[in-house]
Amino acid sequence: MAMSEAALARRNEGGSRSSIWRRLEENPFSWLLPVAILLGIFYLYPIFDVLRLAFTNASLRGGEEHYTFNSFVALIANPVLPDILWTTFIFTAGSVLGQQLFGLGIAVLVMRGERRRLYGMTALRTIVLIAWVIPGIANGLIWQMLFSEAPFGAMNSVLRMLHIAPVAWLSDPGIAMISAIISNVWRGTAFSMIVLYAALKVIDVTLYEAASVDGASGWQKFRYITLPQLRPAILVNSILITIATLNTFDAIISLTGGGPGRATEVLSLYTFNTVFRNLDLAGGSVLSLLMLLISLVLAVGYASFLPRREPNE
Amino acid sequence: MSSETREKLGDIATYIIAIVIAAFFLIPLLWLLSLSLRTRQEVYLGASRFIPKHPTIANFEQILSDPAFINYLWNGLKLSALGGIGCLIVAAPAAYAFSRFHFSSRNSLMMSILAFQMVSPLVILVPLYRYMATLGLLDGHFGVTMIYIAVSVPMAVWLLKSSIDGIPKSLEEAAQIDGCSRFGIFRRITLPLIGPGIASAFILIMILNWSQFLIPFLLLSSDSKLPISVAIFAFAGTSNASSTQVLAAACLVAVVPAIVAFLLLQRMIVGALTAGAVKG
Repeated sequence: MAMSEAALARRNEGGSRSSIWRRLEENPFSWLLPVAILLGIFYLYPIFDVLRLAFTNASLRGGEEHYTFNSFVALIANPVLPDILWTTFIFTAGSVLGQQLFGLGIAVLVMRGERRRLYGMTALRTIVLIAWVIPGIANGLIWQMLFSEAPFGAMNSVLRMLHIAPVAWLSDPGIAMISAIISNVWRGTAFSMIVLYAALKVIDVTLYEAASVDGASGWQKFRYITLPQLRPAILVNSILITIATLNTFDAIISLTGGGPGRATEVLSLYTFNTVFRNLDLAGGSVLSLLMLLISLVLAVGYASFLPRREPNE
Repeated sequence: MSSETREKLGDIATYIIAIVIAAFFLIPLLWLLSLSLRTRQEVYLGASRFIPKHPTIANFEQILSDPAFINYLWNGLKLSALGGIGCLIVAAPAAYAFSRFHFSSRNSLMMSILAFQMVSPLVILVPLYRYMATLGLLDGHFGVTMIYIAVSVPMAVWLLKSSIDGIPKSLEEAAQIDGCSRFGIFRRITLPLIGPGIASAFILIMILNWSQFLIPFLLLSSDSKLPISVAIFAFAGTSNASSTQVLAAACLVAVVPAIVAFLLLQRMIVGALTAGAVKG
């Protein structure tokens, strides 16, 4: 009985020390301490420092630092910023809409297949999920090979075999954005699918049975039972994938590098370039704050549509 | 039309759509495989040689015989594993507290831990880059590992908490009556019981760490320290049309470990994800 021996040994160590240990053990915050320290050093402190740096003229080149509002002024006066924000908006909206609709479609399809006991539904789910574990950087490189505009590029050589004119997948500004969205949807759909699939699984089947008795059509069941029941899952998923898309960096830098021109230079890439290419730490900090603010506003915005409390909880 | 015929037609439609979806998700990877098995001449023949006429493993031989490339793979594995282990060590006590203690700030603390997940690593790297430069931690695996741990800890706390929620309290209570301390219970009873949950969380975090790009890209500079994700990006920058097949092989080698790890533990990973999703 090693446990009771250990307990006895601890008791013999002397009252005061063991009671301090005991109190520490029974206090949940001592268990949370490691996580708190880690997040404090690597998240909280940096975030406060970003806030501070935004009010300085700091540069990665070094030099004397003093406090100023210049970076904010420069940001507002920056003629490039509206384009960057518009690009970010199109990329994020396109990706989120695509992932959500496609993910929902696949989840509904897999559910129907499972209900009818069709073969291959688990295989389909697995195939979709495989794309999700592809590293972002590889995702960009793989799609770059597919969209390659050389005569032997995947898409364009297929088009040529069909006698269709080649498409400037990555060198036309408008099409490059669509290409970037397609590649992002390819990788991101799996997450939406799995979230919505899990939510579909827990919908009470008696709702559908009752609707069938009332003579509801398949579409009516989807519109009046499935969608309302999925609302919380869709909203939570929207928060997660919107922020994930806003933060997307690797898949874009390896696919288009932000080009052609600035056509696919989203906010995260622009922030990166500001700090690590132009070495403008203060300007990059202002942009980082902007990224944080956008994420926060969107998360709170979506969350406000969530039902206050689930009736079954 | 009887309802049975309609269901049958629905089944056919389901299969057709399923095949189209599977094709969309598989073709990019099959194209990568196709390119990686071609000779340089066949790369120039495009989609007509989707199935290469003269398949070759020379591209794989070329990259896998390069000691630098093996080193990139090793660095990727090392950083992913160390990051995963460190993350679990930090996350497990917190997960236990969130599962077994009842305190008023519990829910709000859990949500705020999750909120950190929404901060882009780029935002924290802007100031961290400077600290690390001051502390001399740039271009070292230690600093990178610490940031990997911090980035994945929120998710690990949530995953482990739902694992601990899933085991009955009665065993722990029995040990408590025997005079076992809280920490003893946690170490000797709770942790062994959630072994499968720990394993799936570990694999999931390793897969995410394997994909990490921004952190090592910014913090590491010497070639011998780069993990595979940064190395293939650098390689892509120097490669051109005549080395596409080698880049394809390198990409494939970089993605296969993640795919294999995922397939081996698919059931557990999907289970962990859906458990989290249901709770929202």
